[in-house]
Amino acid sequence: MHPFTYTRVSDTREALAAGRRGGRYIAGGTTLVDLMRETVERPEALVDISGLPLGEITVTERGGLRIGALVTMSEAAAHRKVRTLFPVVSEALELSASAQLRNMATIGGNIMQRTRCTYFRDVTADCNKREPGSGCAALHGVNRTHAILGTSDACVATHPSDAAVAFAALEAQVRLLGPDGERQVPFADFLLRPGSTPDREQALRKGELITAVEVPALPRPLKSGYLKVRDRQSYEFALTSAAVALHVRGGVIREARVAAGGVGTVPWKLPAVERHLVGERPSDSLWTAAAAKAAEGARPLQHNRFKVELLERTVARQLRIVGGTK
Amino acid sequence: MSPQPQAAVGAPLSRVDGRLKVTGNAQYAAEFDVDGAVHAVIVDASIGRGRITGIDTGAAEAQPGVLRVIHHGNAPKLPYRDNAGSNNPPGRRQRVFQDDRVLFHGQPVAVVVATTLEAAQHGASLVKVEYDAVQPSTDLHDAERDKPTKYARGDAEAGLRDAPVRLDVTYELARNHHNPMEPHATIARWDGDKLTVWDKTQWVVGTHDELAAVFDLPAEAVRVINPFVGGGFGSGLRCWPHSVVAALAARETKRPVKLVLSRKQMYFGTGFRPSYEYRLRLGSDGRGRLTAAIHDIDAETSSYETFTEAVMGAGQMTYSMPNVRQAYRTVPLDVNTPIWMRGPGFASASFVIESAMDELAHKLGVDPIELRRRNEPNEDESSNLPFSTRRLRECYTVGAREFGWQRRSARPRSRREGDWLIGLGMAAGVYDPGRYPAQARARLDADGTAVVEAATSDMGPGTYTSQTQVAADALGLTMRTVTFRLGDSLYPQTGPHGGSSTMASVGTAVHDACNQVRRQAIKLAVEDRESPLYGVKADDVVVRGGRLHMKDNPARGETYRTLLARNDRTHLEAGGSYTGPPSPARHSYHAYNATFAEVAVDATLGLVRVRRMLGVYDAGRIISPKLADSQAIGGIVGGIGTALLEHTATDHRDGRIVNANLADYLVPVNADVPDVRAIYLDGEDNDGNALGVKGLGEVVQVGVAAAIGNAVFNATGRRVRELPITAEALL
Repeated sequence: MHPFTYTRVSDTREALAAGRRGGRYIAGGTTLVDLMRETVERPEALVDISGLPLGEITVTERGGLRIGALVTMSEAAAHRKVRTLFPVVSEALELSASAQLRNMATIGGNIMQRTRCTYFRDVTADCNKREPGSGCAALHGVNRTHAILGTSDACVATHPSDAAVAFAALEAQVRLLGPDGERQVPFADFLLRPGSTPDREQALRKGELITAVEVPALPRPLKSGYLKVRDRQSYEFALTSAAVALHVRGGVIREARVAAGGVGTVPWKLPAVERHLVGERPSDSLWTAAAAKAAEGARPLQHNRFKVELLERTVARQLRIVGGTK
Repeated sequence: MSPQPQAAVGAPLSRVDGRLKVTGNAQYAAEFDVDGAVHAVIVDASIGRGRITGIDTGAAEAQPGVLRVIHHGNAPKLPYRDNAGSNNPPGRRQRVFQDDRVLFHGQPVAVVVATTLEAAQHGASLVKVEYDAVQPSTDLHDAERDKPTKYARGDAEAGLRDAPVRLDVTYELARNHHNPMEPHATIARWDGDKLTVWDKTQWVVGTHDELAAVFDLPAEAVRVINPFVGGGFGSGLRCWPHSVVAALAARETKRPVKLVLSRKQMYFGTGFRPSYEYRLRLGSDGRGRLTAAIHDIDAETSSYETFTEAVMGAGQMTYSMPNVRQAYRTVPLDVNTPIWMRGPGFASASFVIESAMDELAHKLGVDPIELRRRNEPNEDESSNLPFSTRRLRECYTVGAREFGWQRRSARPRSRREGDWLIGLGMAAGVYDPGRYPAQARARLDADGTAVVEAATSDMGPGTYTSQTQVAADALGLTMRTVTFRLGDSLYPQTGPHGGSSTMASVGTAVHDACNQVRRQAIKLAVEDRESPLYGVKADDVVVRGGRLHMKDNPARGETYRTLLARNDRTHLEAGGSYTGPPSPARHSYHAYNATFAEVAVDATLGLVRVRRMLGVYDAGRIISPKLADSQAIGGIVGGIGTALLEHTATDHRDGRIVNANLADYLVPVNADVPDVRAIYLDGEDNDGNALGVKGLGEVVQVGVAAAIGNAVFNATGRRVRELPITAEALL
């Protein structure tokens, strides 16, 4: 671990000032400290924001949810409103990490979480994300768990968060506070595809602070849920996952929100699948036909070709679990 | 066993050290508070093979707290006396910081010693090493093989050629790492020319001998201490280079040095279960009687040492057949040297043989258990010796009954619950337990308590508890009044704590020592005019709860305390020993099991979930049933890992292990472990040990992976011949 300074701030003004001077925000620390131990992250100054008043979950006027950035994963997962309004969010959270980590990690930190690519985490390996221009060891290396969507020649690392897949599906907004005031960024624009700059992972300006994730209201009744496919049954990142929310009225799907995890360099929204569903009546054949569009544009690597098939099957399964039939 | 009443042996007792462990008071190697200890962190090679061309230690040495950076450029030459013991395999062992050569990715190239752990870690990250790298060879499939070790009986080629039913299958087994919870760690302290080491090891004697050899010290100048081991599974069976690094760093800095391997360093700083490519050709007659088998076994080893394990035994003696040929070739690669891991050799071979038996059963349309029964040998056909005990048939019968084997449909894919295909599988398991000469010492004090010592280890099976049970019964004392001590090279010498050898070997020595002490006391009593036992025949006296009395007349007797006090004896003492198995061998002595698995496989997503497991064990006498259950559960969990999850992945481009951490190297978590049940056949095996035991810790993992693989086949109709079995193989 490289030496660093540590400051605890008690209000957002103080935090922003420290952030502007180049300080790195830390809350639960479950990713950052881990990476600092591996010297992958070498921040000079840590700014502990865990004392800021960003720990509330509120229902917005129109029936959406605002989840404060400092709400822990376990708090969010257990929250009555999260569970009743958007089960997909609580399920994604509960299928993440371990109970110990969920008790420490925050929602803001969860969407800022860095990839599990093993080459990224090994400072002696080439990684454009860690060291721009050094190359991507994963592209032709051991890449069973890597991404098949949104990749570039510079980076094939997956985004590891499950909650972010649910947020992407639900078209959440990320609320940010910076020196110039507040702004709101759609989830789809917040996390960046690697392109030729995989070191840039979020659309954050220097010193900006995440204050909340806001899930917009959706017409009711809404059924939603999260499916995570992985080698072991707990405490592992997804090989594939699917977040699905469906609003069915009069036997017809009126709204569909679908995204996939474990397969993309960012949580992978599936608009083609959604379009295929809207206006149709739930059926097993519909699920299969819609899911067949899940892996459009996939660029599998040597060890992860199976993810194409697995992704389609994961999405089909979760459409059926949420939408019924069979 | 002795004529003594058995009160402790066979009782389902909790660990005697349980309280120490759960309250954090059990001291593990790195936890000893050695005055003035400083910290050492190893710098690992970041190439897979080549030479070091330069080391820049300036930035590291400039850090506050950093005392010294030691590397091949400034390290003293170490004697490295030859040592054929200490579990060193043939070859030329890694010699730390003795030259500029890099033999594998992760090899220690320098060590940073600092006053704090943080300074040492930071210093290590600042050491800049330049290399002249060459392409390493780490792929088992793409490297030259050593000359084979061979075995043959009959004419396997002809037997196979003439067999009406043939099978030719190749299985791939991934490299596995032990991943004990406690990392390997060493604290080294020099007092003049004397070296004391607190070291995580399964064999203080082996580590003692190796350190004496490396530094060319007389035996009495080295002491190795290790009372607790936080899991081993074999990783502690050798003295690894980091222990030498710690001792070297302590000598160079003239301070005690503590060195703890990081989780990552555990993947190349200690050994592993080697990967295998194993081709098996089987021939049988139309009824499934085996006629011939040809085994071609390739396994990885390092470029500098030839590691071998007992991978040939199972193919020679599990089933009856006239013709067998085996060729076992090690494949030297640019990797560090493997080491035994739970069920060594037999666990690997059993996956192949037991899967192939399942394939053959399916091909013939014979029940897998029935096929095995038809091939049950009457003697060990590799040695022509009779079995001491072999109750595999009984394991099948009990297992089939208790597991509900009759509910299994022979036709794959015939049972479905929603999205899940359900399958049942079984396998037989064999293990050849070790038996090594051992010594022990027992002392009965005037206060009626006893201390028993042996330089063995307790990596988790509960040596402390089971040896206390043996000692308590032999001495006629309660568990509470007996203290068993282990883990110090000053104690009476024993062999390594591995290979299921400890109960038979150390247990026999302990039993012997305690019997002698008891007999001394009885002799004292029956020859003492003041004793109520005066004149009684020694054989008619037993001891129970610290009181000697006539077997047939419990009222007539007295306590050890009274006896010793009256005779002015502060203590009675004796050394006991076990001299090893009968030589030449009179019997084939093996532990057996039948292991059963029920799995569910997601029909579309390919996920395998183990739902139930049962092991039925023919392991001789069970000394400590509660600890035995821990062993069985642990072995089965290990087998689930091998079957479905565990795989050390190497990037062959530069020899780097890419999943050297517990997030990416998957071991089973609680959610992966179902209902596990263990049954032990009653009985004992008296081939050369007084306790009647055969050893349990290894055999419990043998056959587990095959039982699961066979259940996967029964569920899906897919035969996966590569471990671990992952979703992509079943999509």
